[in-house]
Amino acid sequence: MIKFLIWSALFGVLLLSPFIGAVNLDISSIFVSSSLEQTIFFDLRIPRVLFAFFAGIILSLSGLLFQTLFRNALMTPYTLGISSGAVLGAGIAIKLGLGTLVFGVAAISIFGFFGAMLTVFLLVYLSQFLHSHQHESLLLLGIALSLFYSSALMILFYLGDAMQNDMLIRFTMGSLSVIGWSNPILLGIIAFILLVSIYAYRFELQLLSISEDQAHLKGINTKRVTLLLLMVSSLGIGTLVSISGPIGFVGLIVPHIVAKLYPLSVSHRILKTALFGGFFLVACDTITRGIQTQSELPIGIVTALIGAPFFIYLIITKVSK
Amino acid sequence: MIELKNISCAYNKRVILSNISLKIENHLTILGANGSGKSTLAKALCNLTAFEGEIFIESQNIDTLSLQQRAKAISYIPAKLDIYDSFISVEEFVLLGRFPYKKSFVEYSEEDKTIVSQTLAFLKIAHLSSNAVSSLSSGEQQLALIAQALAQRSKIIIFDEPTANLDPRNSKIIATHIKTLKENYQVILITHDLHLANFIDSPTAFIKEKTLHYYEDDFFSDENLEEHYGVSFNSLAVQYD
Repeated sequence: MIKFLIWSALFGVLLLSPFIGAVNLDISSIFVSSSLEQTIFFDLRIPRVLFAFFAGIILSLSGLLFQTLFRNALMTPYTLGISSGAVLGAGIAIKLGLGTLVFGVAAISIFGFFGAMLTVFLLVYLSQFLHSHQHESLLLLGIALSLFYSSALMILFYLGDAMQNDMLIRFTMGSLSVIGWSNPILLGIIAFILLVSIYAYRFELQLLSISEDQAHLKGINTKRVTLLLLMVSSLGIGTLVSISGPIGFVGLIVPHIVAKLYPLSVSHRILKTALFGGFFLVACDTITRGIQTQSELPIGIVTALIGAPFFIYLIITKVSK
Repeated sequence: MIELKNISCAYNKRVILSNISLKIENHLTILGANGSGKSTLAKALCNLTAFEGEIFIESQNIDTLSLQQRAKAISYIPAKLDIYDSFISVEEFVLLGRFPYKKSFVEYSEEDKTIVSQTLAFLKIAHLSSNAVSSLSSGEQQLALIAQALAQRSKIIIFDEPTANLDPRNSKIIATHIKTLKENYQVILITHDLHLANFIDSPTAFIKEKTLHYYEDDFFSDENLEEHYGVSFNSLAVQYD
């Protein structure tokens, strides 16, 4: 019953979401052809809701994937520094002045993507020096990398001019605002690829959730499967972060909420996590648009405001065992 | 038959095993002090750790076996289960033993599921099949691990300290199962539990100072144990005072 209520509430928000924002639309006005309302609805709101939905899928699936692969409740692309890597990459692109060019968005995306990938390779490389079961150390490495990237980003701020800094600050706060259909379609394709890859490897993932040795003993090439899944998820995270900026905590909390609602093995939680993540981020984004301020509340602030208390709750209940 | 030829292992530049050669005709119990390299030897057998030398199973070099073939030949049961996915059920967990037989990307077959329920019934834990593995007691977890290894249908089963975390009653249940399994499987047992080792009654390999001492039988005399472990024994029990 509680599940039904939660899902229907989230679905209701999804349906309402495109009508809410700085300009509240009503349903009759959007069908008036070539009106301002119609343009807002079809070129801004619908693409944005879809973008948020796919972003939620990518973030929560990546969270589930990282938590399962490394058997640690706190592993996400965000806590491992992969998002920060993407932010730094995108920040460098902005600092180089690529942001103001015609192909600016694409250039920032490519830099962001390379920032994310580079971080993954760095983590994979550094993890060789850890004993095989020390995933806590991997988390520490991720945190160290995040701090390093933040400082590097500070240097960019220090060197930047006012306009670049404004772009950088807005970027680091995260925003799901998109114009037109190209970004939602791109992100939709990547979300689909990520979902299919994780679902296809659900049996391998289930074995890896027990232990790497056991997975190896059952005939899985653990290094190859791990790297492949990390690459696909980094592609998703890199692309997403370079368009929207970092959006924290979704990847952390959604897999845990779904696990609380559905106490099932990992392989049975993949689709539910993806769907819930999509709905959840749309709901958070609707809040940012629903609260009337002179400009929109950044999405990163809303997810962090909900996520940080949950993160604390998680640390004191689950990790301390 | 398993044949080890000139096996050496090192870990962080520390030599653990040096130039070990052994033919394991059938069953084997591996004993030795803490850190003597028992588990390392077992891990070398499953290719979980790097080693020098060659290992042959039924006169086939294990380096030439694919991961899948190896999984069908050997299963390894760890002493303790550390499970992250706290919701996986016993049935799902045992089903993972069928992974080497499964076609990529598709569900486990009905035959796999039948094998799992037969195995659970054989080990008398069918009533636990829908319980979460993380909610089981250590003894039940050890049985679930054995069930998974049996579902894997490999000829060789390696038990790595199966009774290390168990109370006497559960130790006896596990010991009885291991003894029964000797009829159809090649059982390699690693343990500190001398009563268990004596009960299982396989040829014994004692690892000491990086090398291996092999005993077809007659290992379990107090004098012999005293010589190997360097403490006094009285009917297989350590003399504490």
